[in-house]
Amino acid sequence: MVRLNAISRLAASVFVLGLMFQSQAKANDGARFFETKIRPILTERCLHCHGHQQAKGGLRLDNPQSFSEGGQSGPLWNPQKIDASLLLQRLKGRPANKGRMPKEGDPLTAKEIEAIESWLRDGAPWPDYGQPIKPLKNADSFSDEDREYWAFQGIKRPSLPSVDQVSWVRNEIDLFVLARLEALGLTPNPEAKSEKLLRRIHQNLHGLPPNPADQQAFTRDRSPKAYERLVDRLLTHSNYGEHWARFWLDVVRYAESDGYRGDFYRPTAWPYRDYVIDSFNADKPYDVFVSEQIAGDELAPNEVSARIATGFLRHGIYEWNQRDVRGQWAIMLNDVTETTADAFLGLGYACAKCHDHKFDPILQEDYYRLQAYFTPLLPRDDLPLANTEEWQSYQAAQRRWETATESIRTRIDDIERPIIEKGLSEIRSKFEPEFLELMDRPRANRSPLEHQIAELAYRQLAYDINRSRNSLKGTAKERRDALLKELELYDSLKPTEPGKAFCATDVGPSAPPTHIPDDREQRDIAPGPPSILDPRAARVDFVPSAPNSTGRRSALARWLTNPSNPLVARVYVNRLWQQHFGVGLVATTSDFGRLGEKPSHPALLDWLANEFIVNGWSTKHIQKLILNSATFRQSANAYSRKRAMSRDPKNRLLWRFPTRRLKAEQVRDAMLAASNELDPAIGGPSVDAKTPRRTVYTKQIRNRRDPLLDAFDLPYYFKSESERNETTTATQALLMLNGEWVLKRAEAFAKDLLALESTGTDERIDLSFQRSYGRQASHAELSAAKTFLAEQAERAGGSPFQQAQLAAWTDYCHALLNSNEFLYVD
Amino acid sequence: MSTSSQEPSKGLLALAGIPHHQALTSRRDFFQRSGLGFGSVALTGLLNQSAQGSHVAPRKPHQARRAKNVIFLFMEGGPSHIDTFDPKPLVNRLAGQKVPESFGRVLTSMGESHSPILASQRQWKRHGQSGLWVSDWCPHVAECIDDIAVIRSCVSDGINHAGGVCQMNTGSIVGGRPSLGSWVTYGLGSENQDLPSFVVMTDTESQVVNGPRMWGTGFIPSVHQGVRFKAGETPIQNLNAPKGVSSSRQSGKLAFLQHLNKTHAHQRNEDSVLEARINSYELAFRMQAEAPDAVDLSKESDSTKALYGMDRQPTANFGRMCLLARRLVERGVRFVQLYHGAGSKWDAHAGIEKNHTQNFAATDLPVAGLLKDLKSRGLLEETLVVWGGEFGRTPMSEDGDGRDHNPTGFTLWMAGGGVQGGQTIGRTDDLGLHAVEDRMHVLDIHSTIVWLLGLDPRDLVYHHKGRPENPARNEGEPNPAILG
Repeated sequence: MVRLNAISRLAASVFVLGLMFQSQAKANDGARFFETKIRPILTERCLHCHGHQQAKGGLRLDNPQSFSEGGQSGPLWNPQKIDASLLLQRLKGRPANKGRMPKEGDPLTAKEIEAIESWLRDGAPWPDYGQPIKPLKNADSFSDEDREYWAFQGIKRPSLPSVDQVSWVRNEIDLFVLARLEALGLTPNPEAKSEKLLRRIHQNLHGLPPNPADQQAFTRDRSPKAYERLVDRLLTHSNYGEHWARFWLDVVRYAESDGYRGDFYRPTAWPYRDYVIDSFNADKPYDVFVSEQIAGDELAPNEVSARIATGFLRHGIYEWNQRDVRGQWAIMLNDVTETTADAFLGLGYACAKCHDHKFDPILQEDYYRLQAYFTPLLPRDDLPLANTEEWQSYQAAQRRWETATESIRTRIDDIERPIIEKGLSEIRSKFEPEFLELMDRPRANRSPLEHQIAELAYRQLAYDINRSRNSLKGTAKERRDALLKELELYDSLKPTEPGKAFCATDVGPSAPPTHIPDDREQRDIAPGPPSILDPRAARVDFVPSAPNSTGRRSALARWLTNPSNPLVARVYVNRLWQQHFGVGLVATTSDFGRLGEKPSHPALLDWLANEFIVNGWSTKHIQKLILNSATFRQSANAYSRKRAMSRDPKNRLLWRFPTRRLKAEQVRDAMLAASNELDPAIGGPSVDAKTPRRTVYTKQIRNRRDPLLDAFDLPYYFKSESERNETTTATQALLMLNGEWVLKRAEAFAKDLLALESTGTDERIDLSFQRSYGRQASHAELSAAKTFLAEQAERAGGSPFQQAQLAAWTDYCHALLNSNEFLYVD
Repeated sequence: MSTSSQEPSKGLLALAGIPHHQALTSRRDFFQRSGLGFGSVALTGLLNQSAQGSHVAPRKPHQARRAKNVIFLFMEGGPSHIDTFDPKPLVNRLAGQKVPESFGRVLTSMGESHSPILASQRQWKRHGQSGLWVSDWCPHVAECIDDIAVIRSCVSDGINHAGGVCQMNTGSIVGGRPSLGSWVTYGLGSENQDLPSFVVMTDTESQVVNGPRMWGTGFIPSVHQGVRFKAGETPIQNLNAPKGVSSSRQSGKLAFLQHLNKTHAHQRNEDSVLEARINSYELAFRMQAEAPDAVDLSKESDSTKALYGMDRQPTANFGRMCLLARRLVERGVRFVQLYHGAGSKWDAHAGIEKNHTQNFAATDLPVAGLLKDLKSRGLLEETLVVWGGEFGRTPMSEDGDGRDHNPTGFTLWMAGGGVQGGQTIGRTDDLGLHAVEDRMHVLDIHSTIVWLLGLDPRDLVYHHKGRPENPARNEGEPNPAILG
């Protein structure tokens, strides 16, 4: 039932009948009012003395019953005479400051007292959650349990467990896995068949099926190290980065459009995607990878890739015509705060935006301590994809062109000026005067925050200037276009522009304040790690390479990548594990808090995290260990595993390799690979989904989702995403069966098979199996396929022969693409 | 189960030699006749609708419920409250003047906070036993006013369409959260396994602001997402076999596919995900039979069609959508959302007279028809009808004859599903600018809807990234005043 029963309860307990008639509807508003205005005052100012720990004066203010009962001095308020209420007298210090509350610190502000007064007038509505409210936590109020929570402990290298079935073990990982299985009286599966391993590892490392040549090469390699060699080979192929970038792009909410109504494409966002792909391919040490994304502009200002990396700070959504400029800036800062907490710390900071985390020792203040690293941010679109030297030589050449074209360009400006001015005055009229004033004020006279707001507002003006330019009509347009033609004559002088980076820097060397909304004191919160780990403010040093920056993000990068950080390495190796086995050792890969799941193999998690750090934060080092382990190489078979099925039905202990469905991108890529249409081009600007390139290179537009990818659970990219759903729906089946795109792949697949010269039906069927399933067809499968092809050709009409053949083969290929074996890897 | 005697022209029906005219009566039947005897374990799983199943079995609501289904009539772009259900004489008295300081400052989308107040040209009358005020833009809905609770104190956080539409659908102005329809189907499942449980229709092909993610599932499994329906032979995208593929070809192909899947499943012992996927093709097959029937209006009488205004312009289009909505809830579809004015067509920044006159002319009669039809069939008791947009409109003028967005106070109404009609809830200030009494934030509205369906909005939890998420976002509270 409705939770808000305070009013009836109050009425029943002490007070007057009048209240009984108060509309229950009012209760709703009351709950919000209580939560937003009253609760913060109570928790911050009252409960330390009048709570469950000490009820001074016999008064408790942490639950509605006690509040209505009052303390030794009697009831706190009288609905008939609100003004004369004891509570208000004490808060106002009347008469003559007698017994003013709170005793310590400043009196409540007039606004706060007013809030309490108005709350009393409304009947003091108090949503009853069935448990008392607690005083605001601070770093001193953490319990031992909080401090001893596993995820906050330093990473130690655990000793290796001993096991019975030593013969199964290939490396340390297996010891940890086997020890847990044996403790439960279970055994792992033996190694999977080589054809299964081949497909598993190709899909796992490249996100693509093995092609027939891969299959032959692997089958032919009879050496005992064939598998290890395959692992090494696949890890050094560029397809690897294309697949492994994908999970990171999910984690950092990467997409290429603004995500609002004006869902504008971000033509400069894609270099970040290539940056991530390249970083995986190069096995960039994770500490460097993290630092570049958090503070590349400060740490390596002359490196283009570091500049691109700061796109991380900007992949959130943006609304081009949001006149509530401050509101939008708050959303952008919250986005980067929460993404950082999710991605690197695996902590649910989002819960602490409005209040202390209810289950984890994360204070509301911690949310803003993390945010304070980012408060100085300034989104930038003016910095080139070029280092200083390249930029200087470009500018020199550009100046020559500018000099040569000055008069033409001046004439163009003269023609465009009236329409631009008209457009500007229109857009300016949509802004509140405060923003116009800020934009008009010289930069030198703006505070850092004012400059950020002015810049954000000015983006809307800049957009309109371009729009006005393009809206020129009539003879003016003709004259301007003629001049543009004239300008083209100088194109030979014009250097190629290096392009602009989608990136961010700080607004300047001094930081704007960071406030907790509704904080009565409006304290400036200094940057810092979660208080449970270190309650002090972060040490922020001047960064010599970036004198115009606060250095705050460098400090954050330093803290994140410090080997003593208990979270970052654990969170990352757990993500790697998740990508290899479908589920992390901690299943909730972005929440290591109490709301998340406990690790299935805590010692293994720590061993991997330590191994990762001592091996130079090398992703591929950990991956090789995982891929070469017996745990990864075991079969997915569940036959005759009744005991395991009953003791560990979810396979959390990995008594077998988990069967997994292909992700959305893998589904699309595998279809293009099977039909032999896949364009292997690497990198560059994103393409339309109609282009047969790998899905990672197709445009990710937030509000126009590709139907196929959508059906296979592509994330929405509004927040950091750490786990993909795997849903199966009837509409998905319809799309696979009747959707145009899949049908076209089937037809291309069929045509490609039929085009093979001097190839018999058996060979074609065999090839189709290799391309779809990564294996050869059995005799039974061959004959079933042949029967189907013959019958289907008849159903398709029988003549003309070639058309019926194509129809039959298309349907055959279509069935393969629809089949479970195509979509699931085991 | 499909009891349709109609034969889908091309479809799965003919799978593996099933005679076209023979209706399938059970899932077991389907598999036996299609030659897909799986062995008892698999079959039991299928018959029990495995957890990963393609569809959502109905679940018991937590509480004694009032409403079973929802029809959400979304007037996209933001209809004016002060010209329809929330009369403000002071607007006309102060017309031409600036909003007095005492009303507080607002931040508007188009910078109209300092613009002069625009008079309302509406004629107002009290209607029904309850005597609630309704303007002459809604003469037909006015006839139903005794069934309607007018919530005059709605509040949203979005000053722009994207944020507003996003919040009215998902509770947040920022994307990524599940839509209300998804939460409801997640919470209650579906009463009809042969149709999607959450159906969306739009009046034109124009894209609803933010696109299909407005009926998306955010972080909950996409099985709960809204499915777009259209009138005609193909109500759902990809429902039928592509042109040029005969039904014998299609069924031959499907039989082969199920053969492949059967062989594959045989080699693997327990994988319920594999079964679920085989199962999904069966559901697709039933949908092929059921969906066209659900949208086949030929069996509706002329008088019913006339009730919805299907016999004339400009009401025929939205009338058909409203009638389809009734047919869908009749068949157990849990949540139906109809968009009128897809792509912000109610967004009367200029020429509100013309804009709203046209929009109400197209919708007022059909909406009233829906309420009357539901009531006469006894369906209104269990069907909650919600009408509104993402925000209201300002008393200040824009361009001299339009109104800007007003998220700080606007009207939305509810009828049916246990709602006490003939009442108003909440109040805006004397200019209709801010909600000042019994404010109902969008999250309160969502919580109230969920609560009317018998669910506690805080207990309707889905764990995402370890966090217990709920449609109320820990803030919304149901407003019991809706029951009177």
